Amino acid sequence: MRRRISVLASTTVVAALLATAVVTAGTVSSASADDDKGRAKNVIYLLGDGMGRTHVTAARERYYGASGKLTMETLPAQGYVSTYAVEKGSGQPGEADFRPNAVTDSASAATAWSSGVKTYNAALGVDAKGAVVPTMMELAKKSGYRTGNVSTAEVTDATPAGQMSHALARGCQGPVYSDAACQDITVTGAALPTSDVRVTPIADQIARNGTADVILGGGLGRFDAADETALKGHGYSVLGSIATQTTATKTDLAAAAGQKVFGLFNKGNLTIEKSKSERPTSAEAQEPSLPEMTSKAIELLSQKKAEGEKSDKGKGFYLQVEGALIDKRSHANDAAQTLAEVKAFDDAVAIAQDFAKRDGNTLVIVTADHECAGFNIIEKGTFTNAEAATPPANTDSGNTANNSTPSRPSNARDAARSTGIINGAGAADPKNFGPATFRTPTDPAGVVDGSPEAGLWLSYLSGNHTGADVPVYAAGPGADQLQGTVDNIALFGIVGRALRVIG
Amino acid sequence: MKPRTPRAIALVAIAAVLIVGGGAYALAASGASGSSGGSISAGAARTTFPGLVAPSGQPELESIGKAHPRPGEVVQAAGPFDDRFLLENLAFDGAAVSGAVRVTSDVSAVLDLEVVAGFYDDTGALLGTGRFVHHLVDDGSHSVAPEELVTFTIAVPSGIAVPAVSVALGVPVLVNE
Ligand SMILES: [Zn+2]
Repeated sequence: MRRRISVLASTTVVAALLATAVVTAGTVSSASADDDKGRAKNVIYLLGDGMGRTHVTAARERYYGASGKLTMETLPAQGYVSTYAVEKGSGQPGEADFRPNAVTDSASAATAWSSGVKTYNAALGVDAKGAVVPTMMELAKKSGYRTGNVSTAEVTDATPAGQMSHALARGCQGPVYSDAACQDITVTGAALPTSDVRVTPIADQIARNGTADVILGGGLGRFDAADETALKGHGYSVLGSIATQTTATKTDLAAAAGQKVFGLFNKGNLTIEKSKSERPTSAEAQEPSLPEMTSKAIELLSQKKAEGEKSDKGKGFYLQVEGALIDKRSHANDAAQTLAEVKAFDDAVAIAQDFAKRDGNTLVIVTADHECAGFNIIEKGTFTNAEAATPPANTDSGNTANNSTPSRPSNARDAARSTGIINGAGAADPKNFGPATFRTPTDPAGVVDGSPEAGLWLSYLSGNHTGADVPVYAAGPGADQLQGTVDNIALFGIVGRALRVIG
Repeated sequence: MKPRTPRAIALVAIAAVLIVGGGAYALAASGASGSSGGSISAGAARTTFPGLVAPSGQPELESIGKAHPRPGEVVQAAGPFDDRFLLENLAFDGAAVSGAVRVTSDVSAVLDLEVVAGFYDDTGALLGTGRFVHHLVDDGSHSVAPEELVTFTIAVPSGIAVPAVSVALGVPVLVNE
């Protein structure tokens, strides 16, 4: 049942929160002519949700062959990003009360690069103690940049929401408020008044905070008629109709113009590329692809002169692009769908990089928030532990000093759990842990996906996120800072300094 | 869709006064200047939304008030996520309605789910409502049950004078990962 918050009680709560959450603010940076030297005019930050190192390798081998390269792999600076989260109430790294959690979710990861703080899984735009932290997109907007946020998920989902909302719990998406979905008294001690941003449904925040000028993705069902009124009041062109829940189409997107555009192309997440290519006449096939949304967002954000703007010289833009379905289809352990989404994401990278090359002063960063599902390339003809009756043998009868404990003599396939290639002969068995196989460009003619002859054998560890570091690729001003291994909160500083929005 | 009451308006006013009076329009970062480097512009975070009335009460569905199921019926009431789930195994014994929500879109975990039940008399008039609330607390102990199937039981609220003979069920809150 809903906790009844009396006026007196809520006064106390608000006062207490102000006492704990307000800390010294840093200096507001103002870009002087000197500061502007070396500034990146634009930053395009692309992330494949759940895209680990193997996702990249497997997509390369499937679509371009072993000796080929995805576009992201051609960027000059390359490194790794560590992605761990922290527990609720934790301090930041180096603080006495720092309590890390090895595996992040998309919310904690998005908050790390958006706001430069470690936070707990499910938190957006707040630190692990619940204090609101400004996001890079808010800082960029405040400094005069145009801003865009593109995703194949609902735009209220964790990754896009990490830049344009502040919420204790990622489930507080809307259209309506709910105590269970929005409050977290483990973090705040007592329920917050419902006027507090941290328990305001994310859709309500996005419709009213003006943080992103261009918002493209899914999630129409999260917004209601009042949100449409608010968006239009802020000057957005709303594609389709929120009030009638009419999704926008790629035709609407192509015709969109102006400084502020809000277009949602599905009531929920957008549709996977594999399905759209197999059903070209379906309603879902009218959704734009991630590359199409990326291209349009860049076009809208890089317009030379806005109507009514005196100067021709816009300050630049900050655009985030998420390939969300890489993660969602990895959770589902569907390699064919996963790899098609990685390909679409990489095509979006190509569009960003083409723009950056023409522009000459754009920082492009390509990374992921975390790895999903322990994706692996296994040797052709081999099997995984999930398919085995016993783990691998570890007995060395030639030199028993090498024996392990406990000792196992053999590693055998379990016929009940390994009933064939999952996208081939074993497709009909829902309990089959067999691999998925894919033809690669160098396989002999006639070799098909799902066959034992196919060159690329893929397997998943689980249906959940893993704690593996993720790759990062970058080009443009400041990209050299991504050479090597960085933690995900460092991405905030790298982008912020490139745009000169933090000192 | 968003319930509004005078009480909620009073809360907004008090919160606003306190925030302005406390000298802090927006809450700033504590850890942001740590290992990530750089100092942060205060006040960039958008934390207030003029014109947005703070919600009060639990999420409801207009369709529950408009439904008039016939005696013995258990029907679905329209909500914003009807294309994302199926209601299964519905049963009503006069004291409680039970069933399962099978989430059909992109499920690795059902983060939040609320089911509202309207209970009606033999003329189809709404007697009262009850609700089922699911919120996933990610404490590392993942369920052995299928993630996409959430079972529920919602009792007829106490204090209803005449027997409830039919039910309408709707889902105002659904978030899955
Ligand atoms: Zn995920």
